[in-house]
Amino acid sequence: MPARISALLRLFILTLGLSLAGLLAPACAQPQPLMVYAAASLKNALDDVAKDWTASGHGAVVINYAASSTLAQQIAADAPADLFFSADLDWMDWLQARGKVREGQRRVLLGNELVLITTASSPLTLRLEKGVRLSEALAGGRLAIADPRLVPAGKYGKAALEHLGLWDQVSSALAPTEHVRAVLNFVAWGETPLGIVYRTDLRAEPKVRLLAPFPKGSHPPILYPAAVVTPSRHPEAVAFLTYLASTQAQIRFEQEGFIRMPDQDQKP
Amino acid sequence: MTSLGPEDYQAIWLSVKIASVASLASLPFAIAMAFCLARFRFRGHMLLNVLVHLPLVLPPVVTGYVLLLLFGRQGPLGQMLEACCGIVLSFRWTGAALAAAIMAFPLMVRTIRVSFEQGDGRLEQAAASLGAPPWAIFFTITLPLAMSGIVSGLLIGFAKALGEFGATMTFVSNIPGQSRTIATSIYGYTQIPDGEAPALALAGISIAISVVALALSEMLMRRTQRHRKATP
Amino acid sequence: MTFLALDVSYQRGDFHLEFLMQTDATALALFGPSGAGKTTLAHVLAGLLTPQRGSVMLNGIPLFDHQARINVPPQRRRIGYVFQDARLFPHLTIKNNLLYGRMWQPKGPSPIAFEDVVSLLDLAPLLDRYPPSLSGGERQRVAIGRALMSEPRLLLLDEPLSALDEARKDEIIAYLKRLRLAALVPMITITHRREEVLLLADEVVFVDRGRCTGAQSTASFAAG
Repeated sequence: MPARISALLRLFILTLGLSLAGLLAPACAQPQPLMVYAAASLKNALDDVAKDWTASGHGAVVINYAASSTLAQQIAADAPADLFFSADLDWMDWLQARGKVREGQRRVLLGNELVLITTASSPLTLRLEKGVRLSEALAGGRLAIADPRLVPAGKYGKAALEHLGLWDQVSSALAPTEHVRAVLNFVAWGETPLGIVYRTDLRAEPKVRLLAPFPKGSHPPILYPAAVVTPSRHPEAVAFLTYLASTQAQIRFEQEGFIRMPDQDQKP
Repeated sequence: MTSLGPEDYQAIWLSVKIASVASLASLPFAIAMAFCLARFRFRGHMLLNVLVHLPLVLPPVVTGYVLLLLFGRQGPLGQMLEACCGIVLSFRWTGAALAAAIMAFPLMVRTIRVSFEQGDGRLEQAAASLGAPPWAIFFTITLPLAMSGIVSGLLIGFAKALGEFGATMTFVSNIPGQSRTIATSIYGYTQIPDGEAPALALAGISIAISVVALALSEMLMRRTQRHRKATP
Repeated sequence: MTFLALDVSYQRGDFHLEFLMQTDATALALFGPSGAGKTTLAHVLAGLLTPQRGSVMLNGIPLFDHQARINVPPQRRRIGYVFQDARLFPHLTIKNNLLYGRMWQPKGPSPIAFEDVVSLLDLAPLLDRYPPSLSGGERQRVAIGRALMSEPRLLLLDEPLSALDEARKDEIIAYLKRLRLAALVPMITITHRREEVLLLADEVVFVDRGRCTGAQSTASFAAG
């Protein structure tokens, strides 16, 4: 075999061997970081909280942000998460039914509000109540909303619209998106005149503004439960969960627009 | 098949429509670009090559975002298209087709380019010496001889367009009847508990469509190649 | 008025062509060893290569004139080039290969009739076949026929016998004799073989290392 090819072959086998060794090697002496799987809408606030935690002398925290549905399914498939912070009670219940979360180790930490938004430059005004002419406000355009079949924000949005008797006006003029943040894109660039997002999402996009909040009671309460994932052996998992409910952390969340929850140890 | 409902069948039909339109509409541009890159050396050749490959290397969401900015209702190109030709891409299947076409374009160019590179221009020289003008040489000699690569390129474009997801979602969202395709439907089913059955059913159908497309392209290639056994 | 006048300078890499020639011969051979620049010269004549300097005149018409910025593209030079490797179009039938050149000429009767070319080169049994199924000799004949059918002012044969094995050569020689006798168009044959010169030319021009090193009638060439 020509010299160059055999050299390449040897290099390839060496690389393969090293990678396999890396995969199979036992955990190194360094303490493992705490793996938190969190809903995407928590991003800015939770990053700050984790920084505070590490700065006060605790170990490193690594946060994996994605849709609650994706994360729950990964955890069910034995992903190495220590904590799960969901935007939705349904997925937390789903994990609990599969034995991945224990009753005594979950708590509701935060609440949020649902709001109707429009482009920052739009002169539109509206009050969200029964009988309002939402379709007029749309004026032939579409309402951007996270897909109500899949995403918590969309489910809450649909429930609220139904409660207010407005669903039929808009159900054929929706622009269903993959997640809540995508709604911001469409409204920011004027592609859709209206959109439904969480109050906490407002600050992420300067080109949108609040048009009207959805009245309390028009949808089930938006709650963010967090829990320790059962197979986790991380020594700081429970402590971090407790920290998330502490005043210091809650203030961080409140700064981002979340609603503080009174201390609860059980799901409502 | 019982796990699929009428919206799913609508999604299947829409996928085939979008993928067909996307790959066919992209084809002339892909042929032109492939020819340009294969047969000419000019300043900016490398830059052009990089631009062509951008949709392949950028995250699909970024491509979708750029499309939104340019071709959305409020975007400069979107408004131009609506004004001159009455074409609206925003939240329509045409927008999904554009997203799919852009994502498929680099793959089509790569495949077709190989075909053009196989010819070394000698037959074109012969055609020129016989009096054929350059455009005629392209259509009567170069193009027919690159036909197998072009058919392959079309097939690859179709397959890529069929599976397109990220750019489509970001540009035109997931509207039933307009942009809810097999790919976005499968994604949806994987996001709800116990959605595996319809997800797998749709995946199976997607594979079946690709197999049919592959078979058709093989037949097409065999017909265009029946007399060619060796280059003289 | 001279039939063909060449005064060109062409350079590519290490190879340098400085060629000066004038002739009235209607059957000419460009004779020289391999690598002398014969094919390059043929390409220059046909317009497939552009010299850096000089002029090419055919029947008093400038095909290339660097000073006057004239460079007639190959499709308008009406020079029928019979390539060494035939270069038939593999996706067209032999008949369509033959007729390819006719498509680009102005409509009207042609000085060379299709039937005459077919019978001259015995192409009738081949018309419905495709190039890859033909033998080397058959392809060469078709290539000659195709060039003739494009109504050329001049036929250029590039080493017509080199690409063929011994058996095929005899086959082609017979046809080349016929071609020469028919004298349909002036011919220039590029070759490094004596036998091709004797067969196809009245006059020989010698090419060596990119230069024209002399000219002679074939009769003297045969004797000497």
